Amino acid sequence: MGRLFLVALEAKIYSCKYCKTHLALCDDIVSKSFHCRHGKAYLFSKVANVTIGVKEDRMMMTGLHTVAGIFCVKCGSIVGWTYETAHEKNQKYKEGKSVLERFKLSGPDGSSYWVSHEAQIIRSEQEV
Amino acid sequence: MDLFVIIYGLNAHFMGGVEDNEPPSKRVKASSRELKGVSNGLKEPATYSFGASMARPLASQGDNEVTGSKGVKKVEFVRIIAEALYSLGYSKTGACLEEESGIPFQSPPVSIFIQQVLDGNWDGSIATLHKIGIMDESIIKSASFIILQQKFFELLDREKLMEALKTLRTEISPLSINSDRVRELSFFILSPKFRITGVSGQQSVKLKARSEILEELQNLLPPTVMIPDRRLLQLVEQALDLQREACLFHNSDVGETSLFTDHQCGRDQIPSQTIQILQEHQDEVWYLQFSQNGKYLVSSSSDNSAIIWEVGSDGKVSLKHRLIGHRRPVSSISWSPDDDQILTCGIEEVVRRWDVTSGACLHVYEKGLLGLVSCSWSPDGKCVFSGLTDKSIIIWNLDGKEMECLKGQKTIKNSDLQITSDGKLIITMCKETTILLIDRESRCERCIEEQQMIVSFTLSRDNKCLLVSLVNEELHLWNIENHIRLVAKYKGHKRSRFIVNACFGGVEQAFIASGSEDSQVYIWHRGPGELIETLEGHSGAVNCVSWNPVNPHMLASASDDRSIRIWGLKQLRSKQKGKGKSVSNNGVHYCNGATI
Repeated sequence: MGRLFLVALEAKIYSCKYCKTHLALCDDIVSKSFHCRHGKAYLFSKVANVTIGVKEDRMMMTGLHTVAGIFCVKCGSIVGWTYETAHEKNQKYKEGKSVLERFKLSGPDGSSYWVSHEAQIIRSEQEV
Repeated sequence: MDLFVIIYGLNAHFMGGVEDNEPPSKRVKASSRELKGVSNGLKEPATYSFGASMARPLASQGDNEVTGSKGVKKVEFVRIIAEALYSLGYSKTGACLEEESGIPFQSPPVSIFIQQVLDGNWDGSIATLHKIGIMDESIIKSASFIILQQKFFELLDREKLMEALKTLRTEISPLSINSDRVRELSFFILSPKFRITGVSGQQSVKLKARSEILEELQNLLPPTVMIPDRRLLQLVEQALDLQREACLFHNSDVGETSLFTDHQCGRDQIPSQTIQILQEHQDEVWYLQFSQNGKYLVSSSSDNSAIIWEVGSDGKVSLKHRLIGHRRPVSSISWSPDDDQILTCGIEEVVRRWDVTSGACLHVYEKGLLGLVSCSWSPDGKCVFSGLTDKSIIIWNLDGKEMECLKGQKTIKNSDLQITSDGKLIITMCKETTILLIDRESRCERCIEEQQMIVSFTLSRDNKCLLVSLVNEELHLWNIENHIRLVAKYKGHKRSRFIVNACFGGVEQAFIASGSEDSQVYIWHRGPGELIETLEGHSGAVNCVSWNPVNPHMLASASDDRSIRIWGLKQLRSKQKGKGKSVSNNGVHYCNGATI
């Protein structure tokens, strides 16, 4: 692949667990109470160094949403999803924001997150 | 020569096809009758109307008669043709035209006026000035001032001080304009050393030629009174300029325009066919750039090397030197002002200076534990500029002695670094969305603010424009001359992950070219912003393009497919035969030894 265009973030950073590419800032966390197949997930107001996949409509616990997968620009692993449109009025606040799965991230202190046994049983994606 | 032929043709047209071999006197009589008949479909001459600052009626027929379909007034047309004939030196023909058409080139008072100015008959010319029929008082006064000032200087030149003083007091002063200048003029009388040879810095008191005065007056008086010199030629030149600007594919030299047909280049003037594929790099090719003289090309790869190529006189590109030494891929390259040396910068590593002829590394520039991220020559060839990982910009002399360091948030890790060729501006990205223009002398800083993150930028050869590549797949063209303003946008190429570079190119840099992640080269016309070509051929993302500054028909592209393609004009297939022949939809091309 060509010379990657990577944005360097400063302060407390969440990076890709596999290739350490900067993905988001601690300060940009909107909510820590999201969930996905692999356990916890955080909603961020903005993320960096990701490419966006194909849009699709998905029915989630909170209603119908149009979302797209987001992938680390460097290693290509899927790191979460971004909300394009929320079809329920009270979910509109999510539009334009992105969710990063905690399992895919290396935290600001370098820590990783390991999925607990119960979380693995949950098959469908959920959010609060 | 073209101009004269056209005028002659027009002349014949007006005369409604009167035979050329008739004796002159007959011709005149016939034509005056013919003219009344040749009315171009309009009624007989309408009543004459007078604008506020127009001259007295000149023609016997109506001034409102038009020729052609766009309202071109026949009287004006004939007058500028006459002017063109006179300036080409064909005064007999000019006089003939005046006679035949019955349209005097200039009204009699104007002819007299011009003669009086050239003869130095100043008082006479002032009197005539009032009879020409200029309605605007201030113009009459300004013209009188110019004439009387010349009279004043000529008197001084002939040492006639008393008369000069009299002119100043009784003729110039009462005009009540330019009082500062009047005061200066009085100094010239008082002090001998301020005279003719001119000592006081600002006022060069050389006696102007009368023809110069005439020119000044011509610029001052309304054009209907005194037709500007070479007006017809000026109109033709404007038309040619418009045609050239409208020509989308214009990429050939100026001298090829003809007056007989509208100028329109074919698409065949843009390089669009692969002429050569260069496959000497071991890995992806990320960057390339032609030297200013167009004789060399330098390319760099993720294999940590750079290659200097030579462009032969036959247009064939061959490997000259491999530059080995960097331990990181080279992301930034700069040619010295006379193209005999090159600077290369490894990503967050060091800057190396190489000699083009021998390929030897002449110097390594580094700064302690910091990494270097960009490099640029100063236009005088004496200094090396480089961006550091701590966001400052450092300036060394060629031997590596640190001359200066611009501290603070001056540059970021991804930023390009450019110095204008006049040495005045340093251009860098100080933030992801902001380009900083630092004036080297005044240290004054200006900014270009974008809404999206900037990936790369390039400076035009004339230092007036900056082409900025953004993350949202747009190229923005900014004018940075005085007021910073956005001039154009170019879209169509693909970019989502990599640093993709764009460049200016073609004759007068009238085109924009860019790489793209869909493996194609994109070319737009700079003015209209229209996409005119996409070049297929590469099998990986095209990271960088460079247009040969000296040969507008040669373009080079660098790709993730590890090759460099040289693009040229489409040629007939039968012309291309050579070693290493292979078939592809781009035609036959040379390979450097390897088969495809």
